[in-house]
This record gives sequence, C-alpha cells and structure tokens, in this order.
Amino acid sequence: MGIIATSRLKSPWIMHFDNSSCNGCDIEVLACLTPLYDVERFGIVNMGNPKHADVLVVTGPVNRRTARVLKNLYEQIPGPKMVIAVGTCGTSGGVFHNCYNVLGGVDKVIPVDVYVPGCAARPEAIIDGVVLALQKLAKLQGVAL
Amino acid sequence: MNAWIIAIVTVIVAPFIGGLLAGIDRRITARLQGRFGPPILQPFYDFFKLLGKAKIASSRLQLIWIYGYLVFMVTALLFLVLKLDLLLLVFVIGFAGVSFALGGFSSKSPYSHIGANRELMQMLAYEPVLLLFALGVFAVNGSFLISEIFNNPTPLLARLWPIFIAVLLILTIKLRKSPFDLATSHHGHQELIKGIMTEYSGPYYALIQLTEWYEYVLLLGLVYIFWANPWWAGLIVAAVAYILELLIDNITARMTVGWAVKFVWSVGLVLCVLNLIYFWLLPIKGVS
Amino acid sequence: MDYNWMMAVAILLPVVAAILVYILRQYHVRGIIVVVTAIALIINSILFLLKGSQTFTPANAQLWDTVVTVLDYLILLFYIYAGISLKNWLVLIFALTQIVPLAYFEFGMGGKAALEAINPTFVVDHLAIVMTLVISIVGSLICIWAIRYMYDHEHHNHIEKSRQPRFFFWLVLFLGAMNGLVFANNLIYLYFFWEVTTLVCFQLIAHDLNKEAVNNAARALWMNSIGGTGLILAMIYLFVKVGPDSLSVAKIISGGIAPALLLLPVALLCFTGMIKAAQMPFQTWLLGAMVAPTPVSALLHSSTMVKAGVYLVVRLAPAFAGTKLGIMVALVGAFTFMAASGLAISQTTGKRVLAYSTIANLGLIIACAGINTPLSISAAILLIIFHAVSKGLMFLCAGTIEHIVWSREIEDMEGLAAKAPMTTAITTIGVLSMFLPPFGMLLAKWLALEASFTIPLAGILFVIASAATIVFWAKWLGRLMQVLPKLGSKIESLSLSYTVPLWVLVLGIFGLGLGVGPVYEGLVKNAVANVIASGQALTTSATGIVVNGVTAVSSNPSFAVGSYPVWPLFVVFAVGILIPFIFVAVKPGELRPVYLCGEQVEGADADEWYSTADAKTKVQLGGFYFKGALSEAALNPWTYTLSIALLVILFGVVFLAIGGAI
Repeated sequence: MGIIATSRLKSPWIMHFDNSSCNGCDIEVLACLTPLYDVERFGIVNMGNPKHADVLVVTGPVNRRTARVLKNLYEQIPGPKMVIAVGTCGTSGGVFHNCYNVLGGVDKVIPVDVYVPGCAARPEAIIDGVVLALQKLAKLQGVAL
Repeated sequence: MNAWIIAIVTVIVAPFIGGLLAGIDRRITARLQGRFGPPILQPFYDFFKLLGKAKIASSRLQLIWIYGYLVFMVTALLFLVLKLDLLLLVFVIGFAGVSFALGGFSSKSPYSHIGANRELMQMLAYEPVLLLFALGVFAVNGSFLISEIFNNPTPLLARLWPIFIAVLLILTIKLRKSPFDLATSHHGHQELIKGIMTEYSGPYYALIQLTEWYEYVLLLGLVYIFWANPWWAGLIVAAVAYILELLIDNITARMTVGWAVKFVWSVGLVLCVLNLIYFWLLPIKGVS
Repeated sequence: MDYNWMMAVAILLPVVAAILVYILRQYHVRGIIVVVTAIALIINSILFLLKGSQTFTPANAQLWDTVVTVLDYLILLFYIYAGISLKNWLVLIFALTQIVPLAYFEFGMGGKAALEAINPTFVVDHLAIVMTLVISIVGSLICIWAIRYMYDHEHHNHIEKSRQPRFFFWLVLFLGAMNGLVFANNLIYLYFFWEVTTLVCFQLIAHDLNKEAVNNAARALWMNSIGGTGLILAMIYLFVKVGPDSLSVAKIISGGIAPALLLLPVALLCFTGMIKAAQMPFQTWLLGAMVAPTPVSALLHSSTMVKAGVYLVVRLAPAFAGTKLGIMVALVGAFTFMAASGLAISQTTGKRVLAYSTIANLGLIIACAGINTPLSISAAILLIIFHAVSKGLMFLCAGTIEHIVWSREIEDMEGLAAKAPMTTAITTIGVLSMFLPPFGMLLAKWLALEASFTIPLAGILFVIASAATIVFWAKWLGRLMQVLPKLGSKIESLSLSYTVPLWVLVLGIFGLGLGVGPVYEGLVKNAVANVIASGQALTTSATGIVVNGVTAVSSNPSFAVGSYPVWPLFVVFAVGILIPFIFVAVKPGELRPVYLCGEQVEGADADEWYSTADAKTKVQLGGFYFKGALSEAALNPWTYTLSIALLVILFGVVFLAIGGAI
C-alpha cells in the first residue's frame, strides 16, 4: 500500500462544482490553474468528471435544486475522496443563508473535510485548503505528507 | 528463445519509458504555458493513485473491451520490437482502436458515445495513412517485414519523407493532441467531459493510462524506423518528432472531427499517394 | 462411393428433396427432410474432397443434354411470361435477348454440336471442391436455420396459408443448382445452372409477394438476364471463331486457344460474373434482394450464389493473365470494394450494411483475381471460404436479432447485449471476424494487400476501403453494446434450429482461422494450382504463414515479403477478449449511474435525467450515419459514373487489343 498511499498525496485531481455561487470564488478556483499559482506543481489537475476526481471543490450555498446534483456528483466519485467547501457561502450559506431557496452550507448535503472561508476565497487559501485535505488524508493513512 | 527475452523486457520496460515521456510532455507543456509544471514522475503518481481507488463501473462490457485495448496495443508493440510484419501491425493497432471505441459505446453515456463515434472517425482518417506507410515501406524494401528496414542501410526518411510528414499528422491524432484531441479531450471538459474515458475510473482508468504509455512507445518506435541505421539517428528523429508534437499541441486549437478527416485525407493521404506514385514510376527493388 | 452416386447426391438429391418438401407440407416432416438432405450433402462434399480432382460425364449424356436444353427454354419462356405479367419491359427485353440468340445458336448455327463435342461435361477440380464444400456446409446450415426462421416469419406476419413448402422447394433446389454450376465444364451446362440460380433468386426475392418484393425480384431478374446474355454471346463467339470444342471451361483456361481470340469471350464471361457478384454499377439488385426473408439473403446473396460470379472470374483468371483486361478486372473489383465500403457507412438498416459489405468483399475477390499472382489467387480463394462462413453467420445473426427485436433497423438494436446476451456475443464474434485479426477474413485481406503491389492503384483503393470497413462494422457493434448499468441479464432461449447453425459457424470461424495452415496446405494450395501454376506464394509453419518473396521480389530463398503469426494472434485474442469476457465481474455495489452532469434520476440503472422544470427526460443516443457526405444520394452519381467508365474502358481495351491483333 505504501506506494499507493504516497501517490494519493501527490496526485489530487479536483472536480469543481458551483452550487449557486456569485462566481467570485469560481474565478479564484480557476485562477489557481494559471501560471501565477500553477497548482499542477502539486499534481493537482482540474477534472470535468466526478468519476476521475479525488477532491470535490464546492463553491456557493446549496439550494434546493443543486442539493440533488451535489449529492449525485459526490456519490459518483470513487473513494477515497475529500470535499472542500470554498468561500463563505460554501461553508455556511453566507449572505444567502436565510434565502427561501437556500439550504445553507455544503455540509448540509455531503460531509465536508475542509472549509476554506473568504469572500471571495483567495487562490492561496484554496491551495492551502487542498493541502489541508491531503494532510487529513495522510493522517488517515498513517503516511507522512 | 531470444525473441521471448526481448518480448518480456519490452513488456516490462515500455511502460516506464511511456510514463516518463508523458511526464516530460506535461513538464514541457507547462513551460510552454509559462508554468513550472508537475514533477517528471507525475504520471506514475497518477497511475498508482488510480490503482488504489475504489472500483466503480457503469457496465461490465466496457471493462471487457478495455483489456482488449491494452492487450492488442502491447501486441502491436511486440510486433515492432520483434521486427515482424508492418502491415499486420497496423491491423493490430486497428483492433486496439476498435476495442477502445467499443468500450466507449458500452455504456449509455452520451459523452462516451460521442467520443467513441469520434474515435471511429479518427480511425477513418488515420488507418489509410498507416496502411499506405506500410505499402511505402514495401516499395522501398520489397518486403513488409520491419527487419528488412533495419537491414537497409539507407534510411526510409530519404525516400519516404512525404509519408513521414503524413505519419507526423497521424502521430498528432494518436497522441490525442490538438488540433485532433477530439475523442477523449484533455482540455475540452465543458464540451465532452472526457469522451470515451468518461465512464472509466480508478483502476480501469489506470489501465487506459498504461495502454497509452505503451502506445507512446509504439508510435515513437514507428517514427524511429524512419531512420533505423545507425541506431541513434532514429532516436534523434523520434525526439524531434515528439517535441514537435508538443509544440503543435500548444499552439493550435481543437478543431472539429469533420475537419480532421478532411484535413488528414486531403493532406496526409495525398502526400502518401504522391510518394507512392513516385516509387511506382521507378522499379521496385529486385522486381524485374 | 461410386462417383456417379456422388454426383447424383450433389446435384439431384436437392431436386428430389425440394419436390418432397413441396408435397409433404407438415412442419416437422419438412424439418426432417431438410436436415437429412443437409447431412447427406455435407458428407458428400467431404467425399468429394477425399476423392480429389476428377472428371465426369453422365452415362447417358444425350438424355441429359435434351433435359438441359428443354429446361433452358422453359426457364426463358417463364421469364417472358414474368415480363409480360408484371408489365416489366426490361425483364421481357432481356429474356428475349437470351432466348433469341440461344435458339439461333442451338438450332440455326448447329450449336447442339458443341454439346457432343465437349468431353467431359463436368470437371471437379480442387477449386470446384472448395466451392462445393462452401455450398454444402454453409448452405446446408443456413437451410437448417431457415426451418425455424420461416415458421416464426409466417407466425409473426399472420400468414394464413403457409407458403413455406414453396419457399423450401426453391431453397433446397438451389443447392443442387449451385453444385452443378461449380462442377460444369461445358458452357451450355454452365449456362443452364446459371439460369436456374437466377430463377431461384427471382422466386425467393419475390417470396413475400408485396409490391416492393416483386419489383426488386424483377430488377434482380433483368440485371442477371444481361449477364445471361453475355454468357450466350461468349458461347456464340467461341463457337464461331474457335470451334465447337472450345465451349469448355477447361479448354479456355488451358492456354490452347490463341489469346487474341479469347479476349472478348473471357471479357463477356467476366462481365457476367460481375453482374452475378453485384459489382458496381449493378449493385442495386443485391441491395433490393434484401427484402427477401433472411435465409435467402444468407444463402443466395452472401454465401453462395453471388460467389458463383466471383468463382467464374477466378476460374477464368488464367485466360486473362498478363493482359490489360486483367488490370481492368482488378480495378473494377477494387473500385467496388472501396465504393461499397464507403456507402455502407451511411446505411441504417442492418441487412443493407451486410449487403454493401458483401458487395465490397466480392469486389475484393474479383480484384484479387484480376491481380492474378499466386499470392492474390490464394487470397481470393481464402476470401471465398472465410467470407462465406463469416457473412453466413452475420446474416443468420441479423435474422435472429430481427426475430428478437422484430426490426431490421440498427437503431432498434440498441442495448441488445442486455436483452439477448448470447446472440450479441455471437454477433460480436461475427463482426470482429469480418475485419480484425486474428480471424481468417483479415488474414485474406492482408494477403490481398500484400499482393496488390503489381497494380498499385488497386492497393490504394483497398486501403481506403479497409478504413471504411472498420467504421461501419464498429459503429453497428457499438449500438448493440449500449447497455444500462444493470447486472444479471438472462441468456435468451432460442430454438435449436437457430442455435445449432449459429454455434457451428462460430466454431467454423475459430477452427478455420486457427487451422488456416492445414486448410491452405490441404485445400487452397491445390485450388490455386488449378488457376495459376507458377510458384508457391505461401509457406505455412507451426506458428503461422510466411509470404514468400522468391517468385515476385527477390531471388534469395529465405527472403520473405510478410509473415502472419496465426496462433500467437489467437492467443492474444483469447487473453485480450475471451478471458476478460469470462472472468471480469462487477459486484452490485460497484455499479454507478452514467455521468449526466449530476442530473440523473435516482437509481443506478436509470437512463433518465431531470430536464427543465424537473421533467424526466430519457437519454437518447443515436449512431452517426453521415447522411450528408456519404449517403447514396450524394455518392451514387460518382460511383455510377466511375464504375460505368471502368466497364467501358474494360471493353475498350479488349476491342483495342483485338483490333491490334487483326
């Protein structure tokens, strides 16, 4: 298992899902891919498909329509998997928390491993969130990051 | 007995070379885009991570075909290293391609369905060129055997350079690079998700990656035989061709599949046919 | 066994059996007669193989000559009747163009003298033995399969008064006519059997008696009547220019006749063969023939009758060796191979795809005959064998599928793998055997490509056709595979009449593919020697086949043009496809719905997603058919123009050569 456990930490493929965010956080997520931040240094690749993803990066508050989709996507990710809620809205619902159609943060629907606050969350914070998720995974597997 | 050793060594060593090539690809691509890029060993990390993921599938059939893809691709590579028949090698690659496309068809996913159809269209584009490449080799050597290419002191490139250009086009398709990155899509997530590979995940996706590594070695091997004597000349040709492919990948946009077929037929096929016509105006070696 | 008896079983037993099934109308009795006849024919054909090359003239030849002559006119009079009653003037015209010259030839010019002058009447050489094996084994299996098919066919269409006795009368009769055709040495006998197959073809296409069936039957009739006319003209030309004893196939290919005199009759005979083999521009009759019940398509229009056309061309190959006529024959065949493969891509009906693929492969065989080297003739004969088995199987699969989904449309076959796993598995093997290694068809196609270097243009056409072949087969197969994420599909139960022929043909594909070495050594090599004597193109070894370069390319005996490892590729196939097919398993918990952007309806096997306002919408997938670029409407103007031009050039070079000789 050693090589697989190590490889898991070096190759987190993320899938980005936008619940009903204002697109602020989404732009920051995409900014991570740009030459300035270049998350591919850490083996992080943005996948368009839950079946290839290891880490689900969710932005925006969950509303009544996206809850179903979020759950479906989460179930289609093969384990082991991590979930990162990005932005204030993703963590708690943010300014939308008492809207008629909003359920709240991502953790209302699926288990969340890392919360990255910020409005919008900065790319550094998002990368840090992924690293935290990896640290959690490393701890679970008993491997040093 | 010697052939067995070569075969076993190839099966073991080829994935390492292929994986390194993929790593170099990602590194160079990143540099071309002004990024630092992942470690060279990144493809291996990805591979082992995928092996350790939970197995999920959307049908049993798609898993069967993926083994066919792997096994026939390895067979094609063995044909090359054992210096067997080039024409048959192309048909073996054909089986691998069909098997992969059928894997894409074997689930009711719109994305893999489109990807599989596109894969077939790409086969329509590249099969004739590869077959004509084999006919061109025959025109030079009077034999379809790859061993005869190694026996011939004059490089193929000297007399088959139009076919070489056409094969470079095919290389772009087979390496799934822009502008022909149509069936599986490295970059077109919004449009095609991951094409044929959409429904493959975890260990099965790792199998596809493994097959692609074998394929990298096979394809660059096909480029290598254009200058088989002396042994290092082919390596240089293959390396230059590979860098060229990466460059093309980064400076072109993805095009449509209809365009791909038209382009390859009107440029690649015509180059091959012109090259062959040139040869048929001259006598084939040894034929009275 | 006495040779008289063997010939009688081959040609007359089917006639007797045909009359019996017509009189005894019960389903089970019919089944027994057909099965017994089938077994007798199969054993008989193997006896022919054991006996080897023989010649045969019936004991009271004059009686049989009279029978043949009388039946000739009866058939032609029937054509005239059919032309008048259907008000189809083309049928009438081409019936008259046959009967008038034939009558003039036999009675006005003393053509009956040829009947006596020719000895032997039948020549059973190795090429004919190959054909009779194909006819007797594949043909008989198709007849057995037809027993249940026709029962289901009438049951499904609610036909009150069974027309099955009539159907089986023609079907079984046909086997005898085909055996006669391939054995015949005397051209007048050949013509007779040729006309019987045309008649049977007409009767069976028209079997369902709807308007489309009758129209298409009439089209098949008049097109093949043009071929019959060509045969008669060839006979008259030979009779007048060379002499009565020249109406013999053995004489024509013996080299004893001056080549300049032979060119025109051989061109006419090849033309006749091309029409029977539905080469472009005559492909429409074969496409129309697909309205017939599937056993007819399997027996007549893929495995055997159309093979008579290519058989004639291969048979005559020595007579056009080294001439421009040979090159033109190769180009007509190669062009048909390419154009038919291209047109097959746009077809939405399973049987039409099969029809186009048949036309294409027949074109390939004719092209091989035209290339006319030991290698290409080996390829042609191997193609005749492998194509009969694979395409016979494909038609039986198409028919079985038709009786599972009650449709011939490819789109209706979506997800058949879940509904009928066994049929799908057999179909998959059938499709893969058509165009991929390690199967025999690919081996023969590979040989054809390696042989194509003497006529490079043919090689280029082959290459394009091969690419198109991959597309239309793979996308059809893809539609069958499209299943939902569900486990545990039940294997369908089918009548033995369906499954036995299917499995025997599957075994045949594997057996012939694996045993291609022995098949070549024991059967094909001798048949090739009947056509072309110079040199041996292939050597077989324990692992596979090596294409010798000695004769063609190099004087070095160890120099090889190509090599084909036969059993290693079968091992690869077993490891890559069969073993995963048996051992790959998916546990229920591992099943996930397909990715539909997270909007899929709950449940792993749902194929619905939530659309606007949560409306449940079904996922609908369809094949690519390229109706714009590759449809018949778009391509046919080109294919007709080019194929007619090729035929004109074919006859043009013949006339030029004759003019030069005079």
